[in-house]
Amino acid sequence: MKAKAKLNLINSAWGVSFLSAVMAIAIGLLFGLVILLVSNASEALSGFAAIIQGGFADGAKGIGDVLYNATPIIMTGLSVGFAFKTGLFNIGSSGQFTMGAFAAVYVGIKWTFLSGSSHWIVALLAACIAGALWGLLPGILKAVANVHEVISSIMMNYIGMYFVNMLIVSNIHDKIKNQSLPVLKSAIIPKAGLDKIFGSQNINIGILIAVLMVVIIYFLINKTTFGYELKACGYSKDASKYAGINARRNIILSMVIAGALSGLGGGLLYLAGSGKYLQVVDILAPQGFNGISVALLGMSNPIGILFAGLFIAHITVGGVNLQLYSFAPEVIDIIIAAIIYCGAFALLFKNIIFKFSKKKVKEDESI
Amino acid sequence: MNTIYFISQQTMFFAIPLLIVALGGMFSERSGIVNIALEGIMVMGAFISISFISIFQDRLSGQLLLILAILVAGLSGAIFSLLHAFASINMKADQTISGTALNMFAPAFAIFVARMVQGVQQIQFSDTFHIAKVPILGDIPLIGPILFQNCYITTFIGITIAIISEVVINHTKFGLRLRACGEYPQAADSVGINVYKIRYAGVIISGTLAGIGGLVFVVPTSTNFNATVAGYGFLALAVLIFGQWRTKKIFVAAFFFGIMKTFASAYSGIPFLKGLPISNEVYKMIPYIATLIVLAFFSKSSQAPRAEGIPYDKGIR
Amino acid sequence: MDYVIEMNNITKRFGDFKAVDDVTLKVERGEIHALLGENGAGKSTLMSVLFGLYTPEAGEIIIDKKKVKINNPNDANDLGIGMVHQHFKLVHNFTVLESIVLGKEDTINGFLKMDEARKKVEKLSDRYKLKIDSDAYISDITVGMQQRVEILKMLYRDNDILIFDEPTAVLTQQEIEELMKIMRELTEEGKSIIFITHKLNEIKEAADRCTVLRKGKYIGTVDVKTTSKEQMSEMMVGRKVSFIIEKSDVKNLSPVLEVKNMTITNKFTKKSVVKNVSFDVKKGEILCIAGIDGNGQSELVQGITGLMAINSGHIFLNGKDITKKSIRHKCIEGIAHIPEDRQRYGLVLDYSLKENAVLQTYYQQRFQKNGIIKFDAVRDYAKKLISQYDIRSSQGEDSIVRGMSGGNQQKLIVAREIDRNPEIVIAVQPTRGLDVGAIEYIHHQLLSQREDGKAVLLVSFDLDEVMNVSDRILVMFEGEIVGDLNPKSTTVQELGLYMSGSKRSDSYESKSKA
Repeated sequence: MKAKAKLNLINSAWGVSFLSAVMAIAIGLLFGLVILLVSNASEALSGFAAIIQGGFADGAKGIGDVLYNATPIIMTGLSVGFAFKTGLFNIGSSGQFTMGAFAAVYVGIKWTFLSGSSHWIVALLAACIAGALWGLLPGILKAVANVHEVISSIMMNYIGMYFVNMLIVSNIHDKIKNQSLPVLKSAIIPKAGLDKIFGSQNINIGILIAVLMVVIIYFLINKTTFGYELKACGYSKDASKYAGINARRNIILSMVIAGALSGLGGGLLYLAGSGKYLQVVDILAPQGFNGISVALLGMSNPIGILFAGLFIAHITVGGVNLQLYSFAPEVIDIIIAAIIYCGAFALLFKNIIFKFSKKKVKEDESI
Repeated sequence: MNTIYFISQQTMFFAIPLLIVALGGMFSERSGIVNIALEGIMVMGAFISISFISIFQDRLSGQLLLILAILVAGLSGAIFSLLHAFASINMKADQTISGTALNMFAPAFAIFVARMVQGVQQIQFSDTFHIAKVPILGDIPLIGPILFQNCYITTFIGITIAIISEVVINHTKFGLRLRACGEYPQAADSVGINVYKIRYAGVIISGTLAGIGGLVFVVPTSTNFNATVAGYGFLALAVLIFGQWRTKKIFVAAFFFGIMKTFASAYSGIPFLKGLPISNEVYKMIPYIATLIVLAFFSKSSQAPRAEGIPYDKGIR
Repeated sequence: MDYVIEMNNITKRFGDFKAVDDVTLKVERGEIHALLGENGAGKSTLMSVLFGLYTPEAGEIIIDKKKVKINNPNDANDLGIGMVHQHFKLVHNFTVLESIVLGKEDTINGFLKMDEARKKVEKLSDRYKLKIDSDAYISDITVGMQQRVEILKMLYRDNDILIFDEPTAVLTQQEIEELMKIMRELTEEGKSIIFITHKLNEIKEAADRCTVLRKGKYIGTVDVKTTSKEQMSEMMVGRKVSFIIEKSDVKNLSPVLEVKNMTITNKFTKKSVVKNVSFDVKKGEILCIAGIDGNGQSELVQGITGLMAINSGHIFLNGKDITKKSIRHKCIEGIAHIPEDRQRYGLVLDYSLKENAVLQTYYQQRFQKNGIIKFDAVRDYAKKLISQYDIRSSQGEDSIVRGMSGGNQQKLIVAREIDRNPEIVIAVQPTRGLDVGAIEYIHHQLLSQREDGKAVLLVSFDLDEVMNVSDRILVMFEGEIVGDLNPKSTTVQELGLYMSGSKRSDSYESKSKA
């Protein structure tokens, strides 16, 4: 009976996905280790340990930094994952993130008439709206003109990047450092004592906001009629049309929500008061692409995305510490790329898991 | 007049890489495999070939070095694309995921290796490939300055690739079979064609061309490689779609975008435009906005290969 | 016995499932041999083994007295075996000539050389009277012509053993007769033909001998001339099957659905696929729209249900004009639709049974409150449908629909549509691809609707179904209604004439003046 119960857990959709993810992570990390060994065998193991330890190497402060790093990519991960669920690939997360960041920073600098707690809240709302608008256009183009959202979103990424650079220079430019000006104190997201608990200057209640969004999105997707419609559209456009579901409206709404989530991520990062300023450079926000990794690793499930975001933040912090062993931190991106690549082999892993669990049951039952 | 020559010369530098990479994408997609990893493959091809140039430029120079580098770029692109081929064809994985993984891997790899080997991530090289004027051809009125002055052999290689692609896809046995695999692989399978082999060929060709495209992108416009191709791989995808997956239309689309990009980066060399109070950033946005507008009008009736993106499984009837 | 093919004790497995279980098939030279069986009996699989698409786990194949191994279609071709598949393996944007030579192209250094091929195709076309246009695109030619392309593919490769998989499924009556003639010609030239079918009429007309398979097992081989349809049918199904359906007489009641002057024009080709069609369906009546696939029936139904936009005309449901209403509204007003492509339109395959059960009703008060789904209510409803309509699945209401059998998927759709208590049930090809048990079940459901005084609009390409189930038959040809027939007083032959456009009722003069 025990074997049967274990088998059921393993074979449940949830169980298999989780195990597949674990296998992909293991292989990705292994690949990273190999790269370290090839580059500099003597320091490889210490370097690898740094990656695995991640934030724990610095105790509570390190954990605080992990949570701080996780916040924006959980948001972009939710954005991409939510869009995936509805059959859309939101590769435009970067552009939405950047637009949201700009909106938040702009409100944080220019809207001096707001004071106290309302300032940062309004700034974050502005971030959501900016991101939502940036997701709206690809959504409309897809729904109305059948434009593939991947191409249109990529275009929006670049347009957004140049647009924000232009807006910073003309409105909130720090000419000497070529970045945005500092935001007002009232616009910085409160720390609510978290900085004392973790001993880190970076952490704030942004992580709690991210967790709240995870719960909201989970609820939205799984418990509401809206989520039912979105998933149906994602699984089968034809069947949802047959069912009378308005596919066009849902595609647009989906991209708008995804955009808002990414935008909020941008706001949460740049209002953290952690010394991060919007740089005027022609580089796409990497948090957007990390969001894709988080969504894929988390299997587009909000809870999975939460943990995937934490994991990637964890090894990213480890990557920063890697530099102590004179390795370039880009090896973290290599590891993440390897994990994603292995994630594409989900089917293979599922078969391996099935074979393994069948064998176990046979063994147990023969006793 | 000089302005027109200038514009057309610059357009070549921007259009040719787009053309080469988009044609690569065409081979892959018309065989049935969606390849959004063109960006990553360009980076990988550029990285390895420019490293090659950087290493060997003491001993070799000029067109010989460039030709060797092109071969290296093509080879690296081909090998890198095998990862995508394996995942998509043998593992029947989601082709978008596999492509995204390659896109993430290439720049990280390029930066990491560069940093570990030479300390900084930028790879410098000296430009010994610039041709001020091709003898005889460069003197032809009108065509001379446009095509044969202030150029690189990469332009001519690009145009040759375009011609070869057109012939191969429409007039050879391989092309016919490749098209069948992308439209209805069951039909190809039923007459004994090995769909897997053809699709591998399609992806490898796209890898080769994208790798070459990466090098061709960097050489005329810069003297260093910084682990990025500025979204060109994705622009090439847009060119592919705008070109409706057909060689002639891809050629037109590539030059359309080339001209847009030229205005964006070289407008300061055009006296008329320099005077206008339009900021630099707006010019940079133009190619992307133009792409969006074009896509909005041309995506309704798509001639996309019908079987693209769907992994081929013999067992399914 | 001059056997050109012997397949002895062939077994083919897919995982644990034995698609073909110890089957022996012997075909004589120059004969037309039918392979009879229901869906899933193993006929296609057996032929796929012969054609090299599958490798059997057990058994041997002997061609022309020599034992052979056929690992792929090229091997089969080398042995002279060719196959015309049920779903044509033709690329839509290739020309006829390209389609014929694909896989066997003449080349010089890799470049295509089409002149020799063109000449050979013309010769074959003349010899076997298979008229085609070598430069036409596959997407532009009729289904009958596409089949000829498939036949030419085989002849081009000098195949002597020709396998036809359900060849008549997509042909008009006239084309079927032509095909039978072509098959006779081919055997007179020394070719041997195997054709897979489940249509007893055609076996009687064309075949010399017939082998019957049931559930993967070999049942027997009979001489067609001396065996009756009933005997063959019993071998195929394993029990006596009645061809007659019991129905009470129709009472003349008011119309439920009225379609007036509906026209649907294709945006790209500018051709009208539905031309000024008018008809009505009365209470307690099963009206069948008969016709060859591709004459506008699919578009007509999609226009009525709202899946396709109509260019002009009106639709009334119980007197109310619903022409411009949304799909959801039509659902609510009482239109139930059992779609032609059940997996594409009728179900979200990746959803569970219970999620599919409420596909058109999830937003109703009983299933949601303030936008939040009432999962218990949904589950109970699904359970009710499962027990009332005998829907079988591995995990009950939690089964993912993709894993359910075709028959049970269709039962789910039928259950869902009928349980909504609709005014009219529109069913398109509802029994396609199902086994006899499922077919009987669905006919029973449709007849119950009829008994309850509801209306049924049935679109079917199966002449047996059309004749047995319906009260009235409308025939569609090239987008127009060409006849209104009573199944009790018409014959399959007459029906065939209407369907092929050879005959027209007086009141249905052609609307298109050439």
